Amino acid sequence: MPIEITMPRLSDTMERGMIIKWNVKEGDAVSAGDNVADIETDKAIMEMQVFDDGRMARIVVPEGEMVEVGTLIAVLAENDEAIQDVAGAVSAGTPRVTAEKDAPETADADAGTTAASEPAPAAAGGRIKASPVARRLAEEHGIDLATLQGSGPGGRIVKRDVQRAVETGRETVAAVPPSARTPATTVTPTPVAATPAPPAALTTAVETIGGLQPGSVPLSNMRQTIARRLVEAKSTIPHYQVTVTFAMDALVGLRGTLNEQLTDQGVKLSINDFLVRGCALAIHHHPEFNASWGGDHLEIHAEVNIGLAIALPAERGGGLVVATIRQADRKSLRAISQDSKHLAQKARTRGLTIEEMSGATFTISNLGMFGVEHFTAIINPPNSAILAVGAALQKPVVRDGELAVGWEMSATLSLDHRIIDGASAARYLKTLKQLIENPATLLV
Amino acid sequence: MTRTIEFRDALREAMSEEMRRDERVFLMGEEVAEYQGAYKVSRGMLDEFGPQRVIDTPISETGFAGLSVGAAMAGLRPIIEFMSWSFSLVAADQILNNAPKMLYMSGGQFPTPIVFRGNNGAGGQLGSTHSWCVESLYANVPGLKMAVPFDAYDAKGLLKTAIRDDNPVFFLESERLLGVKGEVPEDEYLIPFGEATTRRHGGDCTIVSFGRPLYFCLEAAGALADEGIECDVIDGRTIRPLDIDTIAESVRRTNYCVVVDQSWPFASVGAEVAAQVGEVCFDDLDNHVFRVHSDNVPAPYAYNLEQEMLPNARKIVEAVRAVTYNA
Repeated sequence: MPIEITMPRLSDTMERGMIIKWNVKEGDAVSAGDNVADIETDKAIMEMQVFDDGRMARIVVPEGEMVEVGTLIAVLAENDEAIQDVAGAVSAGTPRVTAEKDAPETADADAGTTAASEPAPAAAGGRIKASPVARRLAEEHGIDLATLQGSGPGGRIVKRDVQRAVETGRETVAAVPPSARTPATTVTPTPVAATPAPPAALTTAVETIGGLQPGSVPLSNMRQTIARRLVEAKSTIPHYQVTVTFAMDALVGLRGTLNEQLTDQGVKLSINDFLVRGCALAIHHHPEFNASWGGDHLEIHAEVNIGLAIALPAERGGGLVVATIRQADRKSLRAISQDSKHLAQKARTRGLTIEEMSGATFTISNLGMFGVEHFTAIINPPNSAILAVGAALQKPVVRDGELAVGWEMSATLSLDHRIIDGASAARYLKTLKQLIENPATLLV
Repeated sequence: MTRTIEFRDALREAMSEEMRRDERVFLMGEEVAEYQGAYKVSRGMLDEFGPQRVIDTPISETGFAGLSVGAAMAGLRPIIEFMSWSFSLVAADQILNNAPKMLYMSGGQFPTPIVFRGNNGAGGQLGSTHSWCVESLYANVPGLKMAVPFDAYDAKGLLKTAIRDDNPVFFLESERLLGVKGEVPEDEYLIPFGEATTRRHGGDCTIVSFGRPLYFCLEAAGALADEGIECDVIDGRTIRPLDIDTIAESVRRTNYCVVVDQSWPFASVGAEVAAQVGEVCFDDLDNHVFRVHSDNVPAPYAYNLEQEMLPNARKIVEAVRAVTYNA
């Protein structure tokens, strides 16, 4: 008996879902418990598992298409069935309804649907033939294989095809009219800044084609999803900002001392490591900073997971991701340092898993390494706040009525006014300031 | 200091040096003593070492191969010369069933440190029964090692290692290479097993081979360079153990691999190397691994047909063009 797989309800409030990425192809064997697809829900991107052993007979709904919960999305053949029989027997005419409720989302979803589904029928059952090297290169450069014409046998996409696409910065189109594609050139590249960054910072296009050349830069499904959620965050959460300046002399000194003493152990702490611990500890005194908006209630989370915004290089598709340091309040500085280095490395090379990118309850974005003094960030839903940190710089300061030179660092909280009011924000920052300016307290 | 000597001289030097070094080593085979070697490899050795250590045998491969197993079990270190590896087929039971398994079957009591050596592969119009390439037949068997020297330098270094190895070693020479001259150091040296070497460097395609076909590979690589395709030509040196790491490192750089094997295609060393490359380098391949073999026919006697049957340079060039999508 063929096993029908429908769009699952992955959260209480989920009504529709979009398959961001199929992790299996038609013909692949699957076992119960395998993660076969990454699905975007109203809240997050989640993994979908199958509960049976079998083989993927037919992928009914391709990537990028929004369907209602309960819609047939794939069919599995049991191990003793022939895939062709199963695939043929299931009707391909399952209605795919895109809801009319959220207007801006629908418009994008429709455009996405048209664009994504056209190449699929052209290839047999949506399968794309590409060599392993070509796949890897395409992923590294954020190029969608469905947009390439393969020059290898049977239309196989080979390394040279991907290289050409990277060099020209244009997709070699299989069957998609250019107007159906979401225009990529207008996307703001550093979404955490309140003021838009100069357009020359466009990642993939400029770095690989060296200069201003017109053309469209394809964005991966993941990147498009992140873009959508940023718009949603900024437009639905009532943001406001509160800024504080930390006197950093003690922390700079302590960090220097610790790093010197820990050189032999290969530990190198960054200022951000201290901030992660500080923010996490401060949250214990201010639980609303570890909360999510629930409409008629606030959901206070048990674990303090600090998200770190990590910028991705062009080869990994550009943009940024938030990696999660779990239970940061229970981790030592060196454990935090190790985690954050590992996650940053992994994000820039192999990429992060869904697990590594989810679960953050509070986020920190740090542009200090670029010399930025002050900026504001967009809250990463479902968090209640985000801390935007600038560089620690030497400044003229006033101490005991006298002018002196001191280390100062500015940080700006963006907050969800539904959850945290100004006074609460100020109290949190006071707690945090106390920790950061008396950094030895972070060690215990 | 090096001097130029022939491949056959390098083999003799290896055997003679090892026989001087260790009195348990002896040489046995058809024509190796009085006749100075069917192919003059053992010239002068009877005079130096005497008839107890350089021994002529009757035409009975089963007999003297079996004798070597017994001698080895009793503590000696025989070198058995097959006039052609084609003749080893009649000794298959001794060289496949006894020698490689004796250590295992005796619970570790009886290693069989024997070197079986001789000419392997097409010899130039020797006919189908005398042109055997045995590597693919024998490489399957656990308990033996297999070395295939490319030139005089490798012949001496690998043969010395083979003689000192406590396992049975199948040493596959080539009649076509015996007269090839090369630079060989005067001082002693050994080449370890399991270490491939690169005979030509290039970044566009990896070619892997062993022994005589490497000359065809280098010829092909020269022609391909004129077309702008630069090949890495890797000499595996030993089939067992196989240095897959060196091969894989090259394929990771080039993304394309052609394996050249002078034996027939089905269930061959070429198929094994291709399978291993596929396993280890899957994500780095832009195309499946291509193989170039001798054609699937018994070796012809006619000169032109034999040349056409072999994995010649023309076939290798075509394979490299095809695998790199330049056909």
